[in-house]
Formats: sequence, C-alpha cells, structure tokens
Amino acid sequence: MKLMTLAFKSISNRRASVLLTLFTIAISVMLLLSIERVRQEAKQSFSSTISGTDLIVGARTGDIQLLLSSVFRIGHANNGLSWQSYQYIKQQKGVAWSIPISLGDSHRGFSVLGSDGSYFKYYRYGNKQNLAFSQGRPFHNAREVVLGSEVAKQLHYHLGQKIIVAHGMGNTSFHHHDDNPLIVTGILAPTGTPVDKTVHVPLKAIELMHGPKHGSAQIMRKKSNSDAQHDHEHEHEHEHEHEHDKHHEVIDSQLGDLIGQPKQITAFLMGFDSPLYTLQVRRNINIYKPEALSAIMPGVTLRELWGMLDIIEKILLLFSAVVVLISLLGMLTTLLSSLSQRRRELAILRSVGARPRHIFTLMVSEAVLITTIGCAIGVAMFYMAILIGKGILQAHFGISISISMLSNYELVLLSVIMVSGTLMGAIPAVRAYFYSLNDGMSIKV
Amino acid sequence: MIQISDLNFSWPGQSKPTLIIDELNIEKGEKLFLHGPSGSGKSTLLSLLAGIQTAQKGSISILNENLAKLNDAKRDKFRADHIGTIFQNFNLLPYLSPLENVMLGCNFSRRRQANLKTQGICARKKACILLEELGLDTSCQNRAVSELSIGQQQRVAAARAFIGQPELIIADEPTSALDADNRDIFINQLFEQAEHYQATIIFVSHDKSLSSLFDRQVSLNGINGASL
Repeated sequence: MKLMTLAFKSISNRRASVLLTLFTIAISVMLLLSIERVRQEAKQSFSSTISGTDLIVGARTGDIQLLLSSVFRIGHANNGLSWQSYQYIKQQKGVAWSIPISLGDSHRGFSVLGSDGSYFKYYRYGNKQNLAFSQGRPFHNAREVVLGSEVAKQLHYHLGQKIIVAHGMGNTSFHHHDDNPLIVTGILAPTGTPVDKTVHVPLKAIELMHGPKHGSAQIMRKKSNSDAQHDHEHEHEHEHEHEHDKHHEVIDSQLGDLIGQPKQITAFLMGFDSPLYTLQVRRNINIYKPEALSAIMPGVTLRELWGMLDIIEKILLLFSAVVVLISLLGMLTTLLSSLSQRRRELAILRSVGARPRHIFTLMVSEAVLITTIGCAIGVAMFYMAILIGKGILQAHFGISISISMLSNYELVLLSVIMVSGTLMGAIPAVRAYFYSLNDGMSIKV
Repeated sequence: MIQISDLNFSWPGQSKPTLIIDELNIEKGEKLFLHGPSGSGKSTLLSLLAGIQTAQKGSISILNENLAKLNDAKRDKFRADHIGTIFQNFNLLPYLSPLENVMLGCNFSRRRQANLKTQGICARKKACILLEELGLDTSCQNRAVSELSIGQQQRVAAARAFIGQPELIIADEPTSALDADNRDIFINQLFEQAEHYQATIIFVSHDKSLSSLFDRQVSLNGINGASL
C-alpha cells in the first residue's frame, strides 16, 4: 500500500469535514478562474474589436462614450454630425480612407448600422483582419442588407430572404415597414466582435426607413394615440417625429446609390497614410468651427478605458485570491484539529515501522490530495459556470467567452494554489512529525 | 535473541532513572511473561526494546544487533523488519479494512515482504490465511473495523504482528479489554502462531493469573533496580 493510498483512505474516512473543505477550495478555485477568465476575455474581445482605424469622429462627447457607442454599440450617441462636415473632413490631406456610420435603429434586437461600400473594404478588427463574407457579397443598392454572423444564426436568415428593418432601439419595434423589405445579399464570417450582431444596410436604406411616407404614418398614429398621453410608445414616436421632419426625401432614387442624401451620420472612422496626419487632422477636428466634434484614437481610448477598470480588476483579483487563501486556511484548521485525535493512529503507524518521515509524507499527502481534488472540482465547476454564464455575458455585455483549455496563466494560478496547499499541509505534518518522534509507540490520547 | 545488560534509562528532564536492568536474556522462541504494576517501567522497557527510545547507559541487543549503535532511521527499519506489536486496544486504523490492517504489518518492511515472497505468497493472501487461522472468516475480513468486537480487533492486530514472520512479538496488555474466555482463546492462538513461526513473545500484563501459561515469568519490580 502506498502512502498516497493510505492518505486517501484516511481522508475519505473523515468524509464530512473533508468534503466541506473540498467544497470551499473548489468554490474558491472556480471563483478565481472565472474572474480571471472573464477579465482576460473581456480585455481580449474589447481590444480586438477594432484595429487599423486611426481616428473615430463623432459629435462632441466623452472619448469613451464615443468609442462605446460607435464601436461597441453600447449606449447612444445623442447627437449626430452633419454630412457636410464628413464630406469636408474626409478630403483633408493624408486621409487614406473613411467609413461613415449611422446607428440608432435596431432589427429584432440587433443594431442596424448604415454605411457605404467602404465599410466592407476598410473596416478591420482583431489582428488587422478585414471583414470576410461567409456567404454572398456586399450590398449594391438601397434594398440590400448584409448580416453579421450572429444575426443570421439567431434569426435563421438566409441569402435572398426579404426582411423588414424598422427603426428605434430595443427588441420591439413599433413601426413595421411592410413596404420597405430589404433583401439579404451577404452574411459575414464570425469575428467575435459586435459586428456579428449588426445588421448592415446602406445609408440610403436608413434614410428610406425614415422617409416621408413613414413620417405621415407617424403623424397619423400619433393622432390616434393622443388620448393615451405620455405612454412609452408615444414618447418614443415623439422623439422620432423631429427626425422625420428633417428627412423629407423622395424614395425614387436610382438603383446602385448607397448613400442617398443623408443629413446626419452618427460617426465616421478614418485611416491615414501616416501617423503625422492623424495628429494633425485630429487637432483640426477638435477645433472645427461649424460643428462641435470629437476625434478619438481608438487604441488610446481603449487603453484609457482599461486604465479606469484596472483598479477594479485588481480588487477583483485580490478578493478572489483572499477567498482562495481563506479556503486553504480552512483546510489547515481541519487538518490541525483532527491531528490531536489522530495521535493514536500515528502511534499505530509507528509500531508497524512507519518512520517519522513517512508520517510527515502522509500528512502532506493528505493536504496535497485535498487541494488537488479541490482544484479539480473547482475546474469542473469553472467550466460549468462559463457554460452557463457564456450566453448571459454575450447577450448583456458582448463579451464572448471561449470554452477553451486552461491557459498557461490559469495553470500557473492552479499551481500556485497547489503549492500553497502543500505548504499549508506542511504545518500539521511538522506537528505530526514531532508527535510521532515524542510519542513513539506509546498511545496518548 | 535478546540480551540486556547494565541498562540505565531515564526520561529527559528527570534526574531519577526510570529503568535500571543489570541483566536480562531472552531465548529464541521463548514466551516471556513480564508483569508489573503500572508505573513500574513496562512501557519504558517496551519502547526501549522497540527502539523508540535509547538508553543512556548499557546495551540492548536483539538478534545480535546492538540497538544503541543504530541511528534513528536504522532503528525504525529494524523495528519494521523484526518486531510485531500488539497494543492494549484500539490497535487498528479505522479507515482500513481488517484485511488491509493486517497487510499494513509488512507495508513498511522490505524484509517482511521478502519473507512472504520466499514462501511464494502475496500479502493479501497471507493476511487472509492468518485471519482465518485466528478465527476471523472472510465475512469479517472486509467489514469496517468499528463493526468488529474487541476480541476480533485484537486478533486482527495479532495477525498484523505476525505477518511477514518477525522474530519478536511484543504484546502490551493485549487482553486487558477481553473477558476471561476470550482472553484464554486469544493467548492460545497467539502461542500457536508463535510456535508456527518460531517467534519470541514478550507479553506484558499486570494480571499475574496469566503467568502460568508462559514459559517464564519476570517481575519487572524484581529486576528493575530503579524501583527499589
């Protein structure tokens, strides 16, 4: 019989207290791993959302707010910027490319992004990857739509399908334009970024959605609703009424036009030939007279965002480390308190020829076993937690958690726990060692 | 087998020696009854014999090996190899089955494992045989230790002491928790095994009525110079 087997049998004999100890260790390990995994994946998915873009320009607002609304579709950009400003700025020296984007509408809970063909050409994410199509092609006119992979998957849309895109944020759209169906011409390959959950339409289509025909319908509905004062629907429509007033465009635009005559867009992304131009244009935008604009460098703002979260990250890590420490101290308590009851056991082992070092090894093995099994259960619970939490995190925070093998970092965390557990186990082991030296075979209880 | 001469032992921190034995020789195969009231130094003598303690003066040789000359690790090894021990009661590890408790007897000794090997028998099989010879059938062998009676537990302890043929069996009041009938059965079984393996038995008890069963009896008070 190996000492390890003895240790195992010994701890399974003290099942009740050992199970509790195992459970606390498992929970603490799960907590630590989950927090670290979410933290890292969040950081990873945040920083890989956009790349290769030098400037994002929108109406004047906080840098982080602009980044969140334009790239992450979190929150709203309260104001847009005028199409004229966009036209003016994109002709500045050094501008390599630009992508206008218009946000604010949604389709069955997925945000709708209006842009032009440059979006598919220049938008890059992750490691400077371009968007790829898993099926179909970009839109060619105002009646066509390109779906993010997640949109197509969740709504079971396929190429050639006619869908109706309404406006307003949120799951329920109040206006269904049966007269404005769009044809799905392309589905993008998964990117792991908010692009997956975006419905891409030409700017012109956005304009059409808010067209005059629709506007008049609004007014009529508004009248019919006027009895019920200030209910949600009413307020919502009221907001949009102003927009519609501005967009008195005619629908009969020529095929192939993606842009139409928009008055406003939410923001635009720019790439430059050289970083020097980036700084120069940024300065010019920040002092641009006709309109109050903000220009942000996404990389810098992303770092700023993480800088703000850094302290929270550290506190979380500290907390989970403390929880692990407490669980190990719990194990120490259990082992130490059982030790005095086990002096007889030690004497018996001594009488059959176990040496003090065997006693020491036995006691350490128990701690190692408890920690190992605790870690193993913790890892299992961790995978269960991310399986369960995955959907929630994706839906609410846009953080995609991969169910992957343990990373090196996580393995290091586990080994730190194992080593600490072993060191903790050495404390009762040393006591047992001296007990067995002093007591010998004489049984003292 | 065992030669003790000019032994003088005192516990650390005590000025008065606990044990002074001028001479005590025990022959191979002898069944020695050692009696004395509590406090007469029985336990001390046993831990000296088992090599847990070493005497400050004098020598104890077992199988021509002077225990005082061995270091701690070697004495531990010597005990594991050559001495089987039976305690008063609660002899068994509660988390092992009776069978595993018996097998534990040769767990820490290469020599005792080798002895079994030369007989061409594995530890588990031997433990089974020993338990059966001592009157514990198969149904008892894998039960929880706590379900055994004290008499049965003591037989398991005896089997553990004998497995792998150690030359010396030290029994420290093994029958004090048994009733008279069980006590006699137990002692007879002990003797059968000892004769079978030609083992020497040192049986310690304060119950003088047992002494007639043994080859020789020694009163510790009689030989211990410290108690005079």
